Amino acid sequence: MKKKSKLKFQIISIISLIAFFAIWQLLTDVYRVIPSTMLPSPVKVLQTIGMKWSVKKPDGSTLPQHILASLQVSGLGFCLGAVIGVPLGVIMAWWEKADLSLKPVFDFVRTIPPIAWIPIMIVLLGIGVVAKASIVFLSAFIPCVINSYTGIKATKTVHIWVAQTFGGSKTRTLFKVAIPTALPYIFTGLKVSLNSSWGALVAAEMLGSASGLGYMIQMGRLLSRADLIVVGMIVIGIIGTILSAFLDSLEKIVVKGEVR
Amino acid sequence: MRHNYGKIRVVLYGAGTFLVLLSLWQIAAMTSNSEIGFPTPVAVIGRFFHMLSNKVGSYTIWGHTLWSLSRVVIGYLLACVLGVVLGLTMGWFPYVKALFKPVFDLLRPIAPLAWIPLAILWFGIGEKYKYFLIFIAAFVPFTLNSYAGAVRVDRQLIGAARMLGASHSQVFFRIVVPSAVPSIFSGAQVALSNAWMTMLAAEMVRSSEGIGWLIIAGQGINDMTQMIAGMLAIGIVGFLLANGMRLLERRCLVWNNQGK
Repeated sequence: MKKKSKLKFQIISIISLIAFFAIWQLLTDVYRVIPSTMLPSPVKVLQTIGMKWSVKKPDGSTLPQHILASLQVSGLGFCLGAVIGVPLGVIMAWWEKADLSLKPVFDFVRTIPPIAWIPIMIVLLGIGVVAKASIVFLSAFIPCVINSYTGIKATKTVHIWVAQTFGGSKTRTLFKVAIPTALPYIFTGLKVSLNSSWGALVAAEMLGSASGLGYMIQMGRLLSRADLIVVGMIVIGIIGTILSAFLDSLEKIVVKGEVR
Repeated sequence: MRHNYGKIRVVLYGAGTFLVLLSLWQIAAMTSNSEIGFPTPVAVIGRFFHMLSNKVGSYTIWGHTLWSLSRVVIGYLLACVLGVVLGLTMGWFPYVKALFKPVFDLLRPIAPLAWIPLAILWFGIGEKYKYFLIFIAAFVPFTLNSYAGAVRVDRQLIGAARMLGASHSQVFFRIVVPSAVPSIFSGAQVALSNAWMTMLAAEMVRSSEGIGWLIIAGQGINDMTQMIAGMLAIGIVGFLLANGMRLLERRCLVWNNQGK
């Protein structure tokens, strides 16, 4: 009985998805309710994906080149953000003096959304890789710090006492007790970071860039090529999903013995 | 007594780092002779207070803030109503879930900022496009968290209500909705900061008033002081919004915080 109803809902889901694409196709290519300059049909989107794979027109680079440019920038910014952000959060949570002196400044800086830094970075660093990577860095850095801070603070006092009773030094307790406790939090932070940095990258590329997926969809708007925009959006969505799936599987390998 | 001493120490450390950083900035800005003309913190704060009473563009900083806030509020409330309704019904009624969840999951990975070009093509560069973007940015966390809240309802409560003769929709309104409220509130917090950031990006791409405009206009005339003063305004309002939300949450969820 239960299996049967599950099957029923799966069929409804599939029909709903098919209907979504069918209505989209009907509205655009078949009945032309929506002009193709506003929304391309799904078929047209697929054609454009195939075409952009090797053709540089009309925005200067092929799709793989745009993807590579975006990945390069976000990879650089994200890794820097994680490498600096996670240890900073740990240090702030573990040593009281660091907490007292750095937390207020950090709390102040984090109220400013990374997007707000874009114009300043463009003025200071131009529209190259460095400016975009700094925006990605900022948006990855903040969640990394917050989550590793919370993670370390979540360590049970009893566990710390036990470590101290057995003669663990402050640093040893940090590495043997606090950091393992904080790992799930740190991974949550990394995931949030990845999402927000991927989004910020798109904005950075739209506001000042000459390559990348954000640039491609911005050019699509200027040239009134809606198909280019939709292709860009789809690729952005797919890559974002792949990246978070990658982090998910990494988390499963690294984080052990999660207490529930 | 000890408690008091601790508080004083917190303030001293915080103020100390701020002073050190600000004076480093002041010295660096005063001694640098780059062509960009990086402003000193004193100049930025002076400009900020100047803008409180003098117009930049067609409004004072108050006017710009009100414009930005009005956009955020409209998109946010729309997203709140639709997102909560969709999320809760998806979490409780299997038919609704089977119908909408696949399409929602299909569109969800696309970063809100990636919608900007398409939104401009659809709605023009007026207000509607900004409402739409802010709506998208806030809609996803609202839906996801209401859904999670409705799914994670305590099964025992449902069983008890069923046994006492409650109908399916009675269980929904009396048990599922109230117990999802804490989860919805944490979604509301995420949605608010998303909406605030997306508003900024939308205004930077295209607008003639608002705080985002203030920053991007500063870039246009190469006025770093105006850009940083605008960022200051963004930070202050964002901080007030987040804390206002937290306060509201504490007020509304008194029952949930007991024992914490």
